[in-house]
Amino acid sequence: MSLKFYRRVAFGLSPNDKPDKDPLNWALNQLDTIPNLLWSGIIPTEKELRKKYGEWVYGDREVLRKTFKNDKHAYKKAKDELRIKTGERYFELNEHAIRHYQTKYSKQPVFERFWLFWGNHFAISEKDFLAEFSTGPYQREIIRPNMVKTFEEMVQSVTTSWCMIHHLDNSESFGPNSKKGMEWRETINENHARELLELHTVSPNAGYTQDDVIQLAYIMTGWAHKWDRKNLETGDIWFDQEMHQKGDKIVLGVKYKNDAKRELAKVIHDLATHPICIKFVSTKLCRHFITDEPTEEMIDPVIEAWNKSNGSLIEIHKAVITQAYKYNEITHKFHPPEIWLMQLSRMFDLNIPLSFEKMNYTFKSKPNNRQRQLSWILREIGHSPYRAKQPNGWSDLEVDWVSPELLLRRLWFASVELPMLVKSGNRSHGFILSCLKNNFEDHKNMASLIDNFRFGTSDYDLGQKYGVICNLPGVLKI
Amino acid sequence: MNCTRRNFLIGGSTTLFLSGYFPKISFASMQKKNLIIISLRGGMDGLTAVPVIGDKRLKKLRKKLILEDVLNLNSDFGLHPKLEIFHKLWQKNQAAFVHATNIPYTGRSHFDGQNLMETGAHIPYKEKTGWLGRGLLASNIIGKGLAISLPMPLLLRGVPQNNNFFPSPDFVETKLIDQIYNEFKGEHNELIKSTLDTIRQRPLSMQIATDSDDRKKLALEAAKQLKDQSGPRVAVFDLDGFDTHAAQGGVDGAHADELEEVNKIVTILHENLGQAFDNTLILTLTEFGRTIKQNGGYGTEHGYGSAILMAGGLLNKSQVYTDWPGLKKKELFEGRDLNSTIDSRAVYNSAMSVCFNQDPEFLRKEVFWGDELPDLSQDLFKI
Repeated sequence: MSLKFYRRVAFGLSPNDKPDKDPLNWALNQLDTIPNLLWSGIIPTEKELRKKYGEWVYGDREVLRKTFKNDKHAYKKAKDELRIKTGERYFELNEHAIRHYQTKYSKQPVFERFWLFWGNHFAISEKDFLAEFSTGPYQREIIRPNMVKTFEEMVQSVTTSWCMIHHLDNSESFGPNSKKGMEWRETINENHARELLELHTVSPNAGYTQDDVIQLAYIMTGWAHKWDRKNLETGDIWFDQEMHQKGDKIVLGVKYKNDAKRELAKVIHDLATHPICIKFVSTKLCRHFITDEPTEEMIDPVIEAWNKSNGSLIEIHKAVITQAYKYNEITHKFHPPEIWLMQLSRMFDLNIPLSFEKMNYTFKSKPNNRQRQLSWILREIGHSPYRAKQPNGWSDLEVDWVSPELLLRRLWFASVELPMLVKSGNRSHGFILSCLKNNFEDHKNMASLIDNFRFGTSDYDLGQKYGVICNLPGVLKI
Repeated sequence: MNCTRRNFLIGGSTTLFLSGYFPKISFASMQKKNLIIISLRGGMDGLTAVPVIGDKRLKKLRKKLILEDVLNLNSDFGLHPKLEIFHKLWQKNQAAFVHATNIPYTGRSHFDGQNLMETGAHIPYKEKTGWLGRGLLASNIIGKGLAISLPMPLLLRGVPQNNNFFPSPDFVETKLIDQIYNEFKGEHNELIKSTLDTIRQRPLSMQIATDSDDRKKLALEAAKQLKDQSGPRVAVFDLDGFDTHAAQGGVDGAHADELEEVNKIVTILHENLGQAFDNTLILTLTEFGRTIKQNGGYGTEHGYGSAILMAGGLLNKSQVYTDWPGLKKKELFEGRDLNSTIDSRAVYNSAMSVCFNQDPEFLRKEVFWGDELPDLSQDLFKI
């Protein structure tokens, strides 16, 4: 078994990690429990941050715009001050630090890889101020706890979470025959219903029709944020009977009797246990961990584990790891930029994320450059995790990540930026060699490519070495 | 609007479809011709960009989205006020619009729709290459595609050695690129290897470091490259944010902001292409239009028919080219969307035939599997 397994299912081995005698069991043993978050800095709750979100939009929309309607410059200044006060410029940076702290230091890195996967499967794309305030805590509080439950429970939580409902506009969806729908002449917004079918559960392979989308949207009407003047769209999610479409609904040929808020749980049960959903999600899991185009032989055992365990994510994850292990030697996988960065950070013990003391923030001035550094790097290498362009999240396919500029960004990062992230005690050539030995069978060949610079410890010299090492075939693509 | 579908049919394009094609060899065709595609992701609302004038039904269904200060095009259509450059070019026969058009996709999913607008196919995710990439390959134009984005858009895939431009904040040394290039071997590494090779062959002016947030700078560099007689012949811009389910607004809403971006890019291209603008076609591309009726959030839902915005010196004349289907309930697609009466792939196929000096019949077979796409080049473009 080659060492690349540690990068296939995790983030490689740090200078403190040692290869395990039984790598498969090492990986399988990481999936039964939810590892604690290791970050010792602030970890605000989703609700706290949603309150900040509310203060920001209320302050801007209701107060500043009206106060400064004739003075563009004073408005801009007041708005910038409000950004700082509400943490609009800060919380996303803190979330990136929490996330990368897990992938770098967790004793259950395999679990963390699944965490990234599910956060991207139930993606929140760039919309309004979700990336600033909500996507991080959503991934911590909605995705993470459900990873030891069933897929169905995960879908239930996600679908009724404030973040997803805001992301896909369900608060703006009114049953046309509901009390409010009739009174205000409002109608449905199909967005959330469509993505629940298409992206989160059965996929277009299920052959649903426009009518199925409408009927599911009817079932979902009423699941909305509680609006009030101060919180605007950031109120808690509740079921508003007065928005709910009355009458029976039919989705994918199944009839759901008029049953108010209980309709949603029933339809989610049917969608999340649908054979086409199981196949679709199993394929995505195999694509993430094994190879871009997984074969039926690779996927089938995952489907089997899913069926046998009634959708237990622990069992599904174990089946995926078993398959990833089985096919480790004969398949290749190109990793997207963020995972590549996380691997470099762990393997070479880079100075990111910043320590929690240095991430401390006073809410009085702009976050400093060091506090912004990790998020800036993620953006520059093309993979800012909470800012996917579409609700289908980031691609898991090599073709979507290989372009001249995207490759150049990796070369740029490794040769220019990375040397500034090497800790002062780790600048010797010997350190690089020991990291290579820990992670690559052909470490001697790799070392020979950077031998010219063996005596150098300046940023320039380290750039020459890391620029090569981090972009070699076996590193870019395992 | 009083006109019916039939008397509004402009041009007799379908006859040309049968009449064969005789490319003219002249000095003009020796000049490099540029084709620029601007992808408008999220579903561009054709009725916001190029609104039909005086339609009572539309006014009733879109109470909160009605535009004031529409720029005048002709007696039937206006133009969104943020699309100023198109209005200016319209006076010079250098802007035109195709209306009530879309790719033959009615599923209303962004992801399937965007996949199909780029592949030009009928089944989502089936094709792995884009129509523009295949068109370039069929015309034997290699290494002439330029994408103004970090990833390589699907639209351009299918022809090797495309470039993209979205520079990093600092230089990368050439010798590092060469060294990495030499290490890549084996079949499963081919894509990376050929991409590294493209980087090695980039023109000097693209080996710069700049602020890629600045769309103006990117459009400026694209214009510079396209102007060069030996530079790229195709450029692809990518815009998103057209999915306005809420607060779509009228003159200043969310859709207007996006149209303003389109306007900005076209303005810079026009200013900086200089003479080369005469040999250029700029076309927009989107996955679908939006519903006629506003929704609960004063936005619109995913629809079907949309419009193509066009600019450039290779346009035949200023016109709104359409086979207008009407907006009465029974005239709408599934009773809710502007219908599509022109397969937009016919426009793109014709545009490629003009810009690549290629027989449209040949391209239709090579690129679009012989689908029935009438040749619109005589109606729309200078050939």
